Amino acid sequence: MTAPTDADVVPVTVNGVEVEANAGELLIDACERNGVYIPRFCHHPRMKPVGMCRMCLVEVDAGRGASLQPSCMLPCTPGMIVDTESDLTKKAQDGVLEFLLINHPLDCPVCDKGGECPLQDQTMAYGPGESRFVEEKRHYEKPIPISDTVYLDRERCILCDRCTRFASEVAGDPLIHFQDRGSQTQVNTFPDEPFASYFSGNTVQICPVGALTAKPYRFKARPWDLEEVDSTFPNPMGDRVNVQSSRDRVLRIQGVDSDATNWGWLTDRDRFSFEALSHDQRLVTPLVRGDSLGNATDDGDELVATSWAVAVERAASAITASLEAGGAESIGVIGGANLTTEAQYVWAKLAKGVIGTDNVDAQLGDGLPAQVVTALPRNTISDAMAPGSAVVLLVDDPKEQFGTLFLRLRHAAVEGDITIVELSPIASGLGSLVTVGAHARPGDVGAVARAIVDGRTDVEVGGVEPAELQAAAAALAARAVTVIVGRPSVAEQAGPIIDAIAAFTELESVSFLPLLRRGNISGALDMGLTPGMLPGRTTLAEGGEWYRAAWGTVPADSGLDTAGMLEAAVDGSLTTLVLLGADPLADFPDADLASRGLAACRTVIAVDIFASSSVANADVVLPAAGFAEGAGTHTNLEGRLSPLMQKVNPPGTARADWLIAAELAWALRADLGIESPESAWAEIERLAPSHAGATVEQVRAAHDGLVIPRPDDAGADRPAMVSFSAPVPTEIVPVDGYALRLVADRRLYDQGTIVQHCASMAHQSDLARISMHPLDAAALGVRDGDLVRVTSARASIELPARPDRCVPRGRAVIPLNRAGADVRALIDLATVVTDVRVATL
Amino acid sequence: MGLLDSVRGFGLTFGKLFDERVTTEYPAEKREKSERLHGRHVLNRYEDGMEKCIGCELCAGVCPANCIYVRGQDNPADDPVSPGERFGFVYEINYLRCIHCDLCVEACPTEAITESKLFEFSFTSRDDAIYTKDELLVGDDGKPQQLPWEDWRDGEDQHTSAWMRATAPSGDASYEGRVAWAGELGYGTRDPEVGQSGGDGD
Amino acid sequence: MSRLSPENVTIAEEIIARYPRPKSALIPLLHLAQEQDGHVADDAMTHVAELVGVTPAEVLGTCSFYEMFKRHEVGTYVVNVCTNISCQLLGGEELLHHAETVLGVKAGGTTDDGLFTIEDVECIAACTEAPCLQVNYRYRYHVTNDDFDQLVDDLRAGRATDVPEHGVLATVRQRIAGDRLAGVVPPEVATEAPVWLPDPAEERAR
Repeated sequence: MTAPTDADVVPVTVNGVEVEANAGELLIDACERNGVYIPRFCHHPRMKPVGMCRMCLVEVDAGRGASLQPSCMLPCTPGMIVDTESDLTKKAQDGVLEFLLINHPLDCPVCDKGGECPLQDQTMAYGPGESRFVEEKRHYEKPIPISDTVYLDRERCILCDRCTRFASEVAGDPLIHFQDRGSQTQVNTFPDEPFASYFSGNTVQICPVGALTAKPYRFKARPWDLEEVDSTFPNPMGDRVNVQSSRDRVLRIQGVDSDATNWGWLTDRDRFSFEALSHDQRLVTPLVRGDSLGNATDDGDELVATSWAVAVERAASAITASLEAGGAESIGVIGGANLTTEAQYVWAKLAKGVIGTDNVDAQLGDGLPAQVVTALPRNTISDAMAPGSAVVLLVDDPKEQFGTLFLRLRHAAVEGDITIVELSPIASGLGSLVTVGAHARPGDVGAVARAIVDGRTDVEVGGVEPAELQAAAAALAARAVTVIVGRPSVAEQAGPIIDAIAAFTELESVSFLPLLRRGNISGALDMGLTPGMLPGRTTLAEGGEWYRAAWGTVPADSGLDTAGMLEAAVDGSLTTLVLLGADPLADFPDADLASRGLAACRTVIAVDIFASSSVANADVVLPAAGFAEGAGTHTNLEGRLSPLMQKVNPPGTARADWLIAAELAWALRADLGIESPESAWAEIERLAPSHAGATVEQVRAAHDGLVIPRPDDAGADRPAMVSFSAPVPTEIVPVDGYALRLVADRRLYDQGTIVQHCASMAHQSDLARISMHPLDAAALGVRDGDLVRVTSARASIELPARPDRCVPRGRAVIPLNRAGADVRALIDLATVVTDVRVATL
Repeated sequence: MGLLDSVRGFGLTFGKLFDERVTTEYPAEKREKSERLHGRHVLNRYEDGMEKCIGCELCAGVCPANCIYVRGQDNPADDPVSPGERFGFVYEINYLRCIHCDLCVEACPTEAITESKLFEFSFTSRDDAIYTKDELLVGDDGKPQQLPWEDWRDGEDQHTSAWMRATAPSGDASYEGRVAWAGELGYGTRDPEVGQSGGDGD
Repeated sequence: MSRLSPENVTIAEEIIARYPRPKSALIPLLHLAQEQDGHVADDAMTHVAELVGVTPAEVLGTCSFYEMFKRHEVGTYVVNVCTNISCQLLGGEELLHHAETVLGVKAGGTTDDGLFTIEDVECIAACTEAPCLQVNYRYRYHVTNDDFDQLVDDLRAGRATDVPEHGVLATVRQRIAGDRLAGVVPPEVATEAPVWLPDPAEERAR
């Protein structure tokens, strides 16, 4: 935020003291900033004022005599005289509270809000001691579920309009609304149409009474037995959260208002994901192969519990055996994107500095090369959405995958002056807020971007009409452009996306926000958990010598990515594979290759929190600590570092990921020299070119985190960071007129491990369906709900169809990781795109 | 100091032999306990058998010794345990920590937890010292359960809930003489206590 | 009960086209739905929501504000008997009582044959003609008990030709030609202030 200039400052007298307010600032905010708190219910800093509750009435003299005015609706004007403590103000507050309490049931002892309730608190502070109301209160049916996770108790509602404003203003899902306005006003949904918003949990957090409560937290604890800590949720946006626990169990996650990232909001998937942490299927003890009697034997059919000493020794001897037989190249590490940045560094050091293999990849064939991602000039979310700027979207639907970023985008599109150009293959949840929908055909996005950048907009390119191309070029012209880039579909190779990036780098003012899946993927790429890279956004070639001096050894040549490792496992050249919270069987785009690769490995060592399908087939399983069970640092898509705090203990003997790496190194007769996350961070700060000057103290102290690289030249003596060079453009695949081009995207609720281990979310994952444009569906004779056979060059699957206007002509969308049908069977990783034919059954 | 002095000294001793005794043959014989003695807790039920506890954890929150552990749960709709939405699912008191201050009784919004006059209970294990909800809850007859290691005598369950809270309306002169208690299983509605305005139960 | 019929969808589209924003057509469309079914059915609200591009909850929010949109089935004839002060003094309550006795339902109820719904209403702005009532919002003045019996008989026999079925606003549908719109433009494309507002330029100068 820029400092206000003199012209922006207006003098206001508050309770006899002259204070400075910003011109246009609401009186309630100006008072709070200057240490005078005015009670309120409806006012919320992230939403427009409505003046519903009248609690913030204060006596204001703006030149025409003192009168009571709602301070949440009143912009400060010069010379305003405000009295927040006058007798008249007090009488108004007293009266408003007495009115609010007329119909409010006094069931505080059973109410989840009791103890942290603004209505309780303000009644104690400003209210009348007793009610004069002796009549019967209003009665409604006690809590009614308005969605799968939210209960509504209309008796407790004070009609502040916060939830309904959130639903329509912030989330854009106005599925709850005032009804029967008048003396019987109530908030409710339309009959049989639930408040099925991805953001419904936020309404529970902002409700100033106990009218909205969350099912996962319902009656689990009272506020006074919760302990809390501010932390960061490990998603790509690095949402700031408050983690609350009682008796060593995480019971609630609340959003924290960080100006830089999530503004206090969270998606329901993140908010309620804590249910998985205390799931009884968590891995609590190391497991090794053993017989049915529970004895550890090398060739046993089952996984049996064992001690850490035995399990680590088994893992170490497998690694040693592979080292002796096939060299460091016969060992690979897949995953690590969900670890803390420190743990990622420690694992990178173990793999590259101790074992000496470069076969390390945190992405499972659904990301972008680290050499590209870490080389791009980055922007911050706030600057990307500053008025007058333009945003290009080339990612998964942000509403489905990156909820809080979607809310920021939505806010910027509604309130601010930004233009949004969508290049993703299908329309996102932003809908009509997008300025230009130039939905490039999969495989052609590079050409589309090139046409927009070069201004060659007179002919159709990649399924985008000249009108859209012209509009896109116009929307980006003379604006600061931020390209939010990821992998919108795994059925399309990364090549065309990189071509699009290369085209956009030629724009005059451009920066990027790499938005890839998996929590701390930015940290993983920064820490070199990817082939050819070393910690600090530097390459093996550039930084090899620097790290060899620090670590002792560094691989000479670039290693294999996940697909390469699985292929090497199949042909026998890779014998030991470490899975760091990765589930290739469910997550790698080629399920067949994943299963053949894992089966062919002599030893699979899995570090995970749940026994996923890949873990169940591992030889050594090491239980890891989950979110809130260990401390560290998170890196978000901007390169923003923010602290992850420990709140509870890991279950059983599960250990933090960095500690597992250190133990494993010790068993390999090596000392990583790391004793804590802090010591790991000190080493990162000392060695990594991109992290110079970002000390652990600075990261902890900054409320909104710390963006790297730091602007100062603290890292001047270190190896150069990787720079972007455009690769040879990918060939454009000609269109097959009889086929639809496949888009395999992701949805918020799927068969993912965490979602499926959360009782309140598991059932929200729909069955897989193929969506296509209604005209394409009509041409194929497919009606809504028809079962169709979808055939690619590789396989065919059967699933129900759904016509959808959001899908452009000539494309078919099948979500990944949904029950019913596995779209991955259709995808051939070796081809740039996948064309499918659809036939009715 | 002569012989006479020692005789005089014993005079008091022998004289007391014929006074009324102030000691009792405890534990064979117990003295009457004061009406407001704080003993072991009981969890009460309403006259219809429903539990009074709603699992609000106010008792746990106020407890200075941190000896109470409560967890609430959604009342099953078809077979509710307590009136309302929530019931006490877990209720434990650790008597190795309890100081019988009765703040829990004051905090309770439903008179669910009250204290009996029983203090004679000793345990042989730490587990026994942690009273669970099953042990604290009054039985089907509405009377406190007698655990094997507890020495209940007649009348010690009397006045269990007739302890007048300082913050209760009957602490206020205008409420004196009015029954401020819900009826309860086994005892029904109790007589009001005398107030604090100096009367002796008129 | 039901979504709008194809004929009514045509009319609805015509109505929507009259306004700069589809959302503005919400209330006329609710009238259309009420005209179709005699009340505003849930499905009709969902359909109206689709037509004007809002959520059903928002439609319900608007619809439920207005007493005259009935969200449950009512009789073919809704009889509103005024019991506000003037009518009350001149026998409105007795009239309501008589109506209840004759039709055999309490105020708010509907007769078994689905023909009549009686309502007890506040002032309907005909105090000079008290006691008065409305049948489907058509007035009857100085109503005596005999008048009421006569009215019920007429309605049953179909003789009260000025009273259409509940939900029908007028027997003639007003059609506004496309070139005769009011000329309103949405604020975001307006180039000048409405005549009733001061000119922003003048305002600034002041």
